[in-house]
Amino acid sequence: MRLAFWLYEGTALHGISRVTNSMKGVHTVYHAPQGDDYITATYTMLERTPQFPGLSISVVRGRDLAQGVSRLPATLQQVEHHYSPELIVIAPSCSTALLQEDLHQLAAHSGLPQEKILVYALNPFRVSENEAADGLLTELVKRFAAPQEKTALPSVNLLGFTSLGFHLRANLTSIRRMLQTLGIAVNVVAPWGASIDDLRKLPAAWLNIAPYREIGTTAAEYLAKTFDMPAIYDAPIGVEPTLAWLRSLIDKLNAIGAERGVPPIVLPQLHAFSLDGLSAPSGVPWFARTADMESFSNKRAFVFGDATHTVALVKFLRNELGMQIIGAGTYLERHADWVRKELEGYLPGALIVTDKFQDVAQIIDDEMPDLVCGTQMERHSCRKLDVPCMVVCPPTHIENHLLGYYPFFGFDGADVIADRVYLSCKLGLEKHLIDFFGDAGLEYEEHEASAPPEEPSATPSDSNEHPSLEIAADVAVIPVVAEDGEMKWSDEAETMLKKVPFFVRKKVRKNTETFARESGANMVSIEVFRQAKESLGG
Amino acid sequence: MQLSRDIQVIKEDNVTHSFCGLACVGWMYQKIKDSFFLILGTHTCAHFLQNALGMMIFAKPRFGIALMEEGDLSKHEPSLEEIINEIKADHHPSVIFLLSSCTPEVMKVDFKGLAHLLSTPDVPVLFVPASGLVYNFTQAEDSVLSALVPFCPEAPAGQKSVVFLGSVNDVTADDLRAEAEALGIPVGGFLPESRFDKMPAIGPDTVLAPIQPYLSRVAVKLSRERGCSVLHSLFPFGPDGTRAFWEDLAREFGITVDLRDREKAAWEKIRNQTELLKGKKVFLTADTMMELPLARFLHSAGADVVECSSAYINKKFHARELVALDGVRVVEQPNFHRQLEDVRRIKPDLIITSLMTANPFVGNGFVVKWSMEFMLMSIHSWSGVITLANMFVSPLQRRSKLPAFDKEVWLEGVMPSAE
Repeated sequence: MRLAFWLYEGTALHGISRVTNSMKGVHTVYHAPQGDDYITATYTMLERTPQFPGLSISVVRGRDLAQGVSRLPATLQQVEHHYSPELIVIAPSCSTALLQEDLHQLAAHSGLPQEKILVYALNPFRVSENEAADGLLTELVKRFAAPQEKTALPSVNLLGFTSLGFHLRANLTSIRRMLQTLGIAVNVVAPWGASIDDLRKLPAAWLNIAPYREIGTTAAEYLAKTFDMPAIYDAPIGVEPTLAWLRSLIDKLNAIGAERGVPPIVLPQLHAFSLDGLSAPSGVPWFARTADMESFSNKRAFVFGDATHTVALVKFLRNELGMQIIGAGTYLERHADWVRKELEGYLPGALIVTDKFQDVAQIIDDEMPDLVCGTQMERHSCRKLDVPCMVVCPPTHIENHLLGYYPFFGFDGADVIADRVYLSCKLGLEKHLIDFFGDAGLEYEEHEASAPPEEPSATPSDSNEHPSLEIAADVAVIPVVAEDGEMKWSDEAETMLKKVPFFVRKKVRKNTETFARESGANMVSIEVFRQAKESLGG
Repeated sequence: MQLSRDIQVIKEDNVTHSFCGLACVGWMYQKIKDSFFLILGTHTCAHFLQNALGMMIFAKPRFGIALMEEGDLSKHEPSLEEIINEIKADHHPSVIFLLSSCTPEVMKVDFKGLAHLLSTPDVPVLFVPASGLVYNFTQAEDSVLSALVPFCPEAPAGQKSVVFLGSVNDVTADDLRAEAEALGIPVGGFLPESRFDKMPAIGPDTVLAPIQPYLSRVAVKLSRERGCSVLHSLFPFGPDGTRAFWEDLAREFGITVDLRDREKAAWEKIRNQTELLKGKKVFLTADTMMELPLARFLHSAGADVVECSSAYINKKFHARELVALDGVRVVEQPNFHRQLEDVRRIKPDLIITSLMTANPFVGNGFVVKWSMEFMLMSIHSWSGVITLANMFVSPLQRRSKLPAFDKEVWLEGVMPSAE
């Protein structure tokens, strides 16, 4: 037992419903107490679904338990009557799993045909969101994928694109654009928008694209084994990985095409991938070489997230922007080995594997990186420290569900990520000016920066964000861990600190206090501050 | 109070979309500022608070989950000492509320014993039953207030004053206090006050005035244990409810006031709004348990309330509201599938509904208002009248200002599973 505030991964139910909410004609019935269908709100509010997600609750009340009554058969009949889905997925909740109810038997009592029902009775105490989603998708693919002729021309399936996925629709658009440019047809996207019939059609494609380590990889592996379908598992995040991904895709399809007498696909000139078809497909390679990016070369970045994005962002920041990686980690222990292998040679120390956000917050606090790429939780940890942070993977917040086209995949995605890095970090020349001249006319920031640290305030690094989103973003403000023994500052030292540029002020304060403690001072006087500056080179 | 005749309430099977009692943490921890709310629960409880509540809470949380993992399921009694110590060290609360959830309830954890064991004289740990096996949404505020009863001092006999029952923000509380004092009603305080050590004294001559409609159990408990009387009136929402509330409350103190003019003036102030509401078909699906007084206000304002559903209706506690809703279809524990069919048939002009169902109703061509917003706005008493009326009117007005919407065009690709 431990005290938890926020968790990185959602529940098994969340994983199951992400898959079923993505699909046509599939309904999930939760056998759970009142309130467990809060999960519905994540779709209706974050994705703003214009229809009712196919999720119903078979309510378990205390009184039913006492009387030995189950409402599951009746709920199944209601769902059949009102929605007549092609498939009903029955999922247990924590409490009903604990009761060890026989869901198969209860489902049979509904009188519904057995082939219409899938009891996905995993242990919600052991299995979390991603494993459940990946598992259910695989289960569905196993159940429905049917042997059949391949399409006459090259085609691919896109696997793992799932409701509430990170920048899901934009990533899908980016991939579709590239495939269109190559003249490759999309056979099926699953689970996003797929029907049961689409799942049956999966083996008609020549190849599977499963870019998410978390969801879809297992289904692609099954299809590879059972239907001899090759797959690409890499995520096309960053310019070089996208180029490698395109080449690998073309090679694999051409190998099949050669056997089938289909003319080979040729990689066109790269401007064909740009939005106007006339320009460089990405601005990143030039941007990374420009003089104003020079100041990025020694910036210290820390990355924490799921498996796919942690690997991709570390590589992108170091390989394509030339930043320094001071550490990385994932909350997905299940995929830690894969992440470790992928990032061999990239990290100065061991990969951090934890599902406690407080641990990650502590690392950020200790390291004070110049850039953190993380989840919504890191974003909040960083706000307290004035550390620039960009959200690169789930768990996300409403502000990661924007209307515009912000993919992370493909050439378009590389530009989006680089822009975010640029906007999150302190700028190059501007930073020198501010360092040199102090506040450089930015006194108006003084007001905000001097707010008490434990109150979430609009920090300069967040000032590019829309104010109303900022209000909403305070949603998940993380409880402050009280620091042991606060260091006092004399008024003069405090005044002197104010002359330090606002965006490094917290860092300087912290370093100075550490210096004072180590040198045995019990408060920061102007003298201690000067010594600290000398000793720390500030 | 006895009903003059039997009020018809249709009862269904509660297959609906709403939250469990843990939702009350969202506002209760903000109300009682020196508290900590600890939920003994699972990953599901944590994910719920993080996501569903995360959408609406704008402050630093003083709540957490003692997370039960697989290994904890076989243990006879959970051990919370370390977690309690951690909370005390980090948050220094004056009181810790220990909330039950479904899994430990199924395990039959002895919460009362556990809370007793963890309590110290300086920081009591109070058990709050809140699990979705029994409690819906706002009902767990009833549990929190019940847990606070022993910490309300005994008011001596003869000390006649009103104690308002229900958590409201400080502005609303000040307003209610000022209004009572202006009418010559002595105010004993609020249950809850915003600090644990400031809970009001309650005794045989206290008049308990419920200002939220979901607090029937604590009202009964207090009248039984302290012998106080409970005001049975309308809840103070809208000109009609507010007038009845203050007149009836004053009568309890032997004060006769006639607030007819005040009510009339209040209706006059919202004439534009009520003109728009007149004859509009309004449907309230069950969610927050504020449905009865909201529907009654709409009914009085001339709207055609086509259905008022609520998760829990207490024929005694809600008697006056039910009488005022005479002729309106009232449903307890509704079935959402049936409601959806009725909505499609009746085509209401406005639907008051949960976070889970609001946007899909809009996608189906309806105008909606989040039911939960009524809990977060100052809509009590005279000063809340305009806000209350505007909350119903603004979605109607906004919709009429937006350009025509062709959903074949503008919804394409938003939810492919529904296409």
